Amino acid sequence: MIKFYNVSKIYPVDVRALNKVSLHIKPGEFVSIVGQSGTGKTTMVKALIGEERIDEGKVVVGGWDITDIKENEIPILRRQIGVIFQDFKLLPKKTLFENVAFAMQVCNGSPSKIRKIVPQVMKIVGLESKINRYPFEVSGGEQQRATIARALVHRPKILLADEPTGNLDSLNAHEIIELLLRINRFGTTVVLVTHNREIVNGLKKRVITLDNGTIISDQAVGKYIL
Amino acid sequence: MLISLLRVVKFSIQDIYRNIWLSLVTIMILILSLFTINMLLVVKVVGDTAVEAIKEKIDINLFLKTTAEENEILALKAKISNLSEVKDVTYISKTEALENFKNKHTDNPEVLEALKILGANPLSPTLVIKPRNLENFDSLINSLNAFEDQIIESRNFANYKVMLGKINSITEKVYDAGLVLSAIFIAITLLVIYNSARVTMYTHRREITIMRLVGASKKFIQMPYLLSSIIYTFIGVLIIMIVFYLFLRLLQPYLEAFFVGYNVNLINYFFDNSLKIFGTQFLVAAVINVLASYLAVRKYSKV
Repeated sequence: MIKFYNVSKIYPVDVRALNKVSLHIKPGEFVSIVGQSGTGKTTMVKALIGEERIDEGKVVVGGWDITDIKENEIPILRRQIGVIFQDFKLLPKKTLFENVAFAMQVCNGSPSKIRKIVPQVMKIVGLESKINRYPFEVSGGEQQRATIARALVHRPKILLADEPTGNLDSLNAHEIIELLLRINRFGTTVVLVTHNREIVNGLKKRVITLDNGTIISDQAVGKYIL
Repeated sequence: MLISLLRVVKFSIQDIYRNIWLSLVTIMILILSLFTINMLLVVKVVGDTAVEAIKEKIDINLFLKTTAEENEILALKAKISNLSEVKDVTYISKTEALENFKNKHTDNPEVLEALKILGANPLSPTLVIKPRNLENFDSLINSLNAFEDQIIESRNFANYKVMLGKINSITEKVYDAGLVLSAIFIAITLLVIYNSARVTMYTHRREITIMRLVGASKKFIQMPYLLSSIIYTFIGVLIIMIVFYLFLRLLQPYLEAFFVGYNVNLINYFFDNSLKIFGTQFLVAAVINVLASYLAVRKYSKV
């Protein structure tokens, strides 16, 4: 599903965020990418969604070589990859329903499709009773659920979660991880980028550890080793 | 496609009312620019009318001796009419000249009394010559000077060309000043539209980030802002049509008083050419504004 071949990303001046990274994530896998701040985790996420161009190597997503992806193809790629971030990125003046629907509206989703799919994804994330609430009216965990719902509206094959629990307490963080596991059980490939030791150790899934832009460990049932 | 278009319109209108003060300032500046441009047009129309009015008044009087015989005068008239620079020659006989003089001075009994005391008609017969066009005015004067007819008493060749040149010069100067003023206002409009779009993009950066993340196309992200600039232009042109109509209503009586006997109707002129004038202004302003907005949004909408 995701293949990195000797991928390097060099920022000025000669800072190697990624250094000859090679990895292969199979469809339906749940993979945690761990490492301390500045080790290249977010650069990997950005390379996967076409936000950053790599300087060396090759990146393939779902059989599509996106190394030299054209600008007009990036939106197509992003509709196949759901992304969630630490800071939620919800629009404060829209309700949770409108926030999720917004992702479909801007991608030419028909009103009937929006009316059908948005309640479905809201139900998956357990927010069906709070669809008319505004972000400031719900907890951080619920806001993150809403962003997961938004990431799911295009039925992505891959869900990238970049530090999704960074702003949450342990209870809410645990619930978000449970939700990601549930989504993974539906067949979606989940890539979790985190430096939360407790979460990674509790998952008992594949763990890729990055250090200074290089993979130093890739364990099928791994632990946080840093 | 239609849904996308409707959403672009919706987002654009949202963008305008969410930044209402910014939108109002943008429209105001646009109105000022358009007002200056339309004022230029008024100056041009009024200037052209003034020049035409003066051209109509330009003629050359050839005063003849009182003793000149009718057949001699008519022969001279025929000779002058044959000149290529001459449009028309009118013969005013002594009697007609006296009648005209009396009519002109009906309110002045002293002059009429003096005329009565004189007893005889003191006025000369005259040939009034209208030039075909003003470019050949000098050549016409030369030709008339070359006539050595004994019945010619005096030649009144007041040079209207100088006056005409002055009016043309004033009109051109006003027009040039207007052009500079318009250029300044256009530049201000460009900067304001550019900055409005930038501020709008800045205030919407979160929304734009989300749009990019969830896979909105660059075109879809940019379109509402470009459409906003077209809407600004449309509203601006619409308001200027109303404002300018009111302005012309105020100006028209003064123009009529100034150009008595001439048809100077700016309201009719603007009505008759409204599509051409305001249509062109809308198109040109829209293209400029879209360009300014595009430059501003291009940076932020990079996917």
